[in-house]
Amino acid sequence: MHIAEGFLPAPHAIGWTVAAAPFVVHGARAVVREVREHPESTLLLGAAGAFTFVLSAIKLPSVTGSSSHPTGTGAGAVLFRPPVMALLGTVVLLFQALLLAHGGLTTLGANAFAFAVVGPWAGYGAYRLARALGAGLLPGVFVALALADLATYVTTSLQLALAFPDASSGFAGAVVKFLGVFALTQVPLALAEGLLGVLLFRVLTTSARPELERLGLLAPEPAEERG
Amino acid sequence: MSAGLAVDDAAWASAWRTRAPLDKLLLCGGLVVCALVLPAWPGGVLVALTAVVLALGPARVPARTFGRAVRWPLAFVATGALTAVVSVDGGGLGWAPDAAARAGDLVGHSVAGGAAVLLLATTTPVSDLLPALRRLRVPAAVVEVASVTYRLLFVLLDSLRTIREAQANRMGYSSVRRSYRSSGALAAAVLTRSFDRARRMQEGLAGRGMETGLRVLPEALPSSSRFLAASAAGLGALLAVGLLA
Repeated sequence: MHIAEGFLPAPHAIGWTVAAAPFVVHGARAVVREVREHPESTLLLGAAGAFTFVLSAIKLPSVTGSSSHPTGTGAGAVLFRPPVMALLGTVVLLFQALLLAHGGLTTLGANAFAFAVVGPWAGYGAYRLARALGAGLLPGVFVALALADLATYVTTSLQLALAFPDASSGFAGAVVKFLGVFALTQVPLALAEGLLGVLLFRVLTTSARPELERLGLLAPEPAEERG
Repeated sequence: MSAGLAVDDAAWASAWRTRAPLDKLLLCGGLVVCALVLPAWPGGVLVALTAVVLALGPARVPARTFGRAVRWPLAFVATGALTAVVSVDGGGLGWAPDAAARAGDLVGHSVAGGAAVLLLATTTPVSDLLPALRRLRVPAAVVEVASVTYRLLFVLLDSLRTIREAQANRMGYSSVRRSYRSSGALAAAVLTRSFDRARRMQEGLAGRGMETGLRVLPEALPSSSRFLAASAAGLGALLAVGLLA
């Protein structure tokens, strides 16, 4: 869930926009450079953005019987790296605000910080750490997607706690409240997104192996071993 | 998900579709700023009313579309506002001293802002707004990537629906275990299709001599000075009433 339009007071809305801006500008520079060197990347990056949007439209069955939607940024961070996701994630948020009324324009900065900056970096960091510790692609993908999802909602909770400190226990009390409502409920959904990631990449390793090799996620295999 | 397309459909069918995107951006941007800075009562309420009346009246957005689109944000606003005004101390839960006023304030601001953004969303297709981003000095490459994203969205959502229907018809969602396997295969199929489509479009464009990015001819939607004057007068009145009341 993104923070709805008008929910954050003006100073917070401006502050988070300023905080997210350097990451999004950095991502935009990376995209501009990529497109200048390879004009054909425009279409591939557009496809990646559309995929992130569409991934968040896939319904996942959850333990409680309700259904939830993946954030989709963890998969993007593993496939396309966090700087590009900072920009693509922000574009996706803008479209979600304008096409689905999820999130908003004044809260775009705060949502971008959680969804397009913290989520992808946390997920990518977890992925790199897992791979460095000797884990395979699929365990790496699981921790990346689960952590990207969870980190996004923990950040959202912290943003809300900063904006609305508790009347008697202040910021600390508000953190407990918002984490309880927005992040704790998200734990099973984060695990579900991790699981979806494993299933997604398992299919990709068999049906889109050349693409994964080109993106540097899998070491090239000798041709005769490919099934 | 159909709600998302419903907003886009409403934008294309709206009576304000032919108005200049920048005119609408100024009006809705002004309303969003009013919603943010004015007190919820009476300013916020007036902003919300203005946005709803303009959308359902002159812009002729179907009330059903508008109503359905606000359900999700309202769920967040209700949960968030409730959490914000519950107070925790020493393990006990209670209402914050001015709970009703604070909750009302939050809901007022959010509903007003949300209605203002929705007025823009239901009258202006995203493909009209993207060229306006160029005027805000967003790099051309970024706007191009965003416009490819917008145009591919609908193709991919269509694929998503078709594949999911095919999976469902083959009992792909008959148990939790199968649902997960089907969802994974669905995501993978959509990803490979999106890349394949991008590659084929790129080859097609390269064959037509694409060298410096995608060029499209923007539709000429002239700005109306009457619309701008009315917007300015209305926003000024809202500000005056909101600040003085």
